Amino acid sequence: MRKTIEKVYMGIILVFMYLPIVTMIILSFNSSKSRAKWGGFTFDWYINLASDSEIINAFANTLIIALISTVVATIIGTATCVAMMGLHKKSRSVIMGITNIPMINADIVTGISLMLLFRFLHFNAGFITVLIAHITFNIPYVMLSVMPRMKTINPSVYEAALDLGAEPFFAFRKTVLPDLMPAVISGAMMAFTMSLDDFIITYFTKGSGFDTLSTKIYSEVKRGIQPEIYALSAIIFIIVIVLMVGSRQLKARNSAASSKKEISYEKRKGLSKKTILLLAAACGVIVVIGLTFGGVFKTEDNQVYVYNWGEYIDPEVITMFEEETGIKVIYDEFESNEIMYAKIASDNSAYDVICPSDYMISRMIQEGMLQELDWNSLPYASENIDPNYLESAASFDEGNKYAVPNFCGTVGILYNKTLVDDPVTSWDILWDEKYAGQILMQDSVRDAFMVALAKNGYSINSTDPAQLEEAAAELIAQKPLVQAYVIDQVRDKMIGGEAALGVIYSGEALYTQRENSDLEYVIPDEGSNVWLDGWCITRDSKHTENALKWINFMCREDIALMNFEYVTYTTPNLKAQELIEDETIRNSTVAFPTEDTLSRCEVYTYLGQDADELYNELWKKIKAAD
Amino acid sequence: MAKELIRLEHVSKSYDGNMILDDLNLSIHENSFVTILGPSGCGKTTTLRIIGGFETPDQGRVIFDGQDITNLAPNKRQLNTVFQKYALFTHMDIAQNIAFGLKIKNKTDAYIKDKIKYALKLVNLEGFEHRMPDSLSGGQQQRVAIARAIVNEPKVLLLDEPLGALDLKLRQDMQYELIRLKNELGITFIYVTHDQEEALTMSDHIVVMNQGYIQQEGSPEKIYNEPENAFVADFIGDSNIIHATMVQDKLVRILGANFSCVDTGFGINTPVDVVIRPEDVELVPRGKGTLPGKVSHVIFKGVHYEMEVEAGGFEWLVHSTRMAQVGDEVDISVDPFNIQVMNVPASEDEEAIEIDV
Amino acid sequence: MFNNRQTSRLLASPYIAWAVIFIVVPLAMIFFYGLTDESGALTFANVAAIARPENLKSLGLALVLALISTIICFLLAYPLAMILASNKISSQGIITTLFILPMWMNFLLRTMAWMTLLENKGVINGILSFFGLPTINIINTSAAIVIGMVYNFLPFMILPLYNALARIDDSVINAARDLGANAVQTFFKITLPLTIPGILSGITMVFIPALTTFAISTMLGGSKILLIGNVIEQEFTLSYDWNMGAGLSLVLMLFIIVNMVVTMMTDKSSNS
Repeated sequence: MRKTIEKVYMGIILVFMYLPIVTMIILSFNSSKSRAKWGGFTFDWYINLASDSEIINAFANTLIIALISTVVATIIGTATCVAMMGLHKKSRSVIMGITNIPMINADIVTGISLMLLFRFLHFNAGFITVLIAHITFNIPYVMLSVMPRMKTINPSVYEAALDLGAEPFFAFRKTVLPDLMPAVISGAMMAFTMSLDDFIITYFTKGSGFDTLSTKIYSEVKRGIQPEIYALSAIIFIIVIVLMVGSRQLKARNSAASSKKEISYEKRKGLSKKTILLLAAACGVIVVIGLTFGGVFKTEDNQVYVYNWGEYIDPEVITMFEEETGIKVIYDEFESNEIMYAKIASDNSAYDVICPSDYMISRMIQEGMLQELDWNSLPYASENIDPNYLESAASFDEGNKYAVPNFCGTVGILYNKTLVDDPVTSWDILWDEKYAGQILMQDSVRDAFMVALAKNGYSINSTDPAQLEEAAAELIAQKPLVQAYVIDQVRDKMIGGEAALGVIYSGEALYTQRENSDLEYVIPDEGSNVWLDGWCITRDSKHTENALKWINFMCREDIALMNFEYVTYTTPNLKAQELIEDETIRNSTVAFPTEDTLSRCEVYTYLGQDADELYNELWKKIKAAD
Repeated sequence: MAKELIRLEHVSKSYDGNMILDDLNLSIHENSFVTILGPSGCGKTTTLRIIGGFETPDQGRVIFDGQDITNLAPNKRQLNTVFQKYALFTHMDIAQNIAFGLKIKNKTDAYIKDKIKYALKLVNLEGFEHRMPDSLSGGQQQRVAIARAIVNEPKVLLLDEPLGALDLKLRQDMQYELIRLKNELGITFIYVTHDQEEALTMSDHIVVMNQGYIQQEGSPEKIYNEPENAFVADFIGDSNIIHATMVQDKLVRILGANFSCVDTGFGINTPVDVVIRPEDVELVPRGKGTLPGKVSHVIFKGVHYEMEVEAGGFEWLVHSTRMAQVGDEVDISVDPFNIQVMNVPASEDEEAIEIDV
Repeated sequence: MFNNRQTSRLLASPYIAWAVIFIVVPLAMIFFYGLTDESGALTFANVAAIARPENLKSLGLALVLALISTIICFLLAYPLAMILASNKISSQGIITTLFILPMWMNFLLRTMAWMTLLENKGVINGILSFFGLPTINIINTSAAIVIGMVYNFLPFMILPLYNALARIDDSVINAARDLGANAVQTFFKITLPLTIPGILSGITMVFIPALTTFAISTMLGGSKILLIGNVIEQEFTLSYDWNMGAGLSLVLMLFIIVNMVVTMMTDKSSNS
């Protein structure tokens, strides 16, 4: 009876622990891109994964960081433990006290503290900073595993070896180390696990163009998860199981061997040495593979760091650019202007080309964060970009000195016709209690406020505190009805029927309609935001020439067309527009809004630092509200 | 004879298909000091645990004071245990450890205080009330464990190899201590050990176990002087165990020589085993004894000489206060009373017990 | 090596240097940034910002959710650890491994999987509606965050509890029973007190990461629910106010220090 209850209890907890993992494995074979429905069995995601260099790179980086940091931490940690035995008790407890800090401290604090240090030292964040951070939090795990064992070691064994004429290091290796080994190995395993699992510290110490698996997933999640990630999870899980079973069997065999007396001491030593050699060789192979794939140590300077919106380019285009120019592209994505700004503003970013929107371009120009473009190096841009758009761009970039228009679009409401029966003509519907829990709002300050300001008939560039307070009150009142504040996830959630209404950018509308024909895009009567973003080069760019080549390439008509067809936002590239074959798209009012619609819409302008702070303050209040 | 306090009836127990106890019957009398003696794995600890209530037998019954307690939880039994590894509560001080059982029984504070004092005095640990167990030596911890058990005034105290972890000197001291305690408390002690010297020193009654069977029980003298089989003879003290033939009543042929003995009833020309203690082997000049032999080793042991004598193709172990020289030609002679004749094991089960320990 | 101070110092020096540069100095940086404004002038405004209603609220919510998660983890893990520790069978290692195995999957992967499970049209609701049962709306609520916390941090509670329980000698439990305590008394008077160090380290290992998480709340809370971790993260990634972020981190450190002191005090009292 009692045994049964115990078994049932363990079973329930096991289900709880493994349900998510099983789910991911099942989804990795789901041919439908949406998680909500089963579209049939497929291996596509595994095939895609093999060619998805971003995910593979991130995975390789994770392994390399984990391996190197484990090895370094194990050596330093073990050496320190050995040294501790010869130190004063006082210095010993001071060292242990410091060692405890990263263990007890919250990851977020450790991560931030290291980030502040790297920034203070003007240390370019990237592989090295993440590695240092991982070594730092790994050493304590090794020491806390080795230290208790160290205390049980009888020094006279070591002394006996010295007495018999052994050199100190040889004596240590032959007497102390074998005793210490199990603790060293378990400490190393712990460190390796922690390094693989870490997200927060990596998140704060990673720089531009460098991702580990966790940071990659975090940005993926914000944008909508690619099924390739499920495939990767399934593979990782299988590897983990194989490793576990393998190590258990190895252990079982070793313990069986050591229990048999006829196996001589010497022989057993040989066996463990072989195992260690094997492990070392395996580590070496993984590192080499990782380095080749990850290109971590590639120091070649013929590269360009691009920082663009998520899902805002046809990946094929990057490959084409690399092939045609021989320039290596380090490509990163951001979710909002503000996140991008924070990254560029921190001294240790390395991005050359960025793609901010109107108001952000204006702000960055004002703050001297961009450099003037040499239009002579941008023949395609001069030829292909619609002068009308250049004129609009001039409103935030006088004389078109800093930005080459990339895409433009509107913000509107995407709704599911099967779930919404009222006519959608006004922002008011987002406050309709009928749709409580079915509404998706944008998780970005300006867009959220735009909705509330437009609803109340104010300018979407309002800086009037009274109007903003009012808008904030509206948003707080709306919050209980909101299912979630998301950015690119609106797309997936709307396709999957998770929500009825969502605030979305026009480009996503076409894509989602293709996936789910029940969806409809509307720009409410009160008006909305029309935005324009453009390619800019950062002030501190170290690869200006390559950056210009990138921008120019993006303006080539065939490339612009590829991008347009991929992201479906309005392209300001005239020649590309002419090349669009699909009539319905060429005439789509979503992709190319009418003059009438545009007349209702406003471009965001930079509101100045004070207004910005006010927006941020209010936004935090909204987020903290119930 | 005092009245019977505990009786095990047909008790069997096995783990994972391994028979630990097989149809064990045992009776323990009031106010006795009973030792269950045997090599590790013989089932002695299991027997104790069944009495203590930590194991339930697969078959059979445990009768305590006339009542069936086979399925009674340990906390409901009127006996207490002193564990091998002391099993002190490390998060409590000595006084709290000793008070544990009394607090459970809701005794008054004054009563508890008195009892702690009394118990600590009894085990010679006065003033240790507020020490923590970790700060005590092994011997002191063992005394606390005893004190903790006896304050509950059990009818029976079970001791599971309580001296096993102590060094020799301490162990000898504790043996006297335990005898004294038993006499002062006037309760029954059931003591489990693999140390025959401990058993012989302290017990009124010894139960020798091996392979889940009781091999022999009786007073220490009886067990030592009249072992019933080769296992008991070998386990208790040194002995010469020799295959022999019972020629007729009172005459046994050992290694080709006829020895007089006192045993009868084995029949004629029956194969038997004989046990002769080394101190019972007399070395006499050649021609004066029964079996001729030659001294091969001599070691001085303090109270006696330990010698090995090659005679009749057997290495005889001899303890004697009179020394012989290596190479001396001697005869072996044994007093008929000192020859213990035993049946040769008949079944396979019994054969199995002849494992050298 | 064991008594040669010179060698020992030499051997310890790499770590001491490392620890000073990458542990001590960075902590000092947090204090420096947290207690200054943009111009570098001394100010307590960044720390005091915790008193703002929105920050206080996110801290309060984080405390409540972390506390609930810790309690749930404890209640789930203790019986499990007891079962694991009491099974002295050969498969014990495998079973223990089984509960630790998910830790090897990346933390974000596991959390992401919960998004998939808990969504309104997610796996759990799919199963529920398949059986004609009412569906649950749990994603983007505090409950979802608690589930995420419990799931991610449960192994950190199981491990120390298991270690503490496995260390208790059977005979100690038997001794208590022998002295007349019933199963319940034995548990509360012996087992529980003996595992206090394990309980404390389990609580620390669950409570601190739960209190300071921002990934779980972002992923399972739909950015609707702001915990103190999110607030701090946003100071760095959105508002670009490093001083404020550092100042709020200092507040978090206060909680960690309190936790540490409590742990140390309990440790001492149980050792003295």
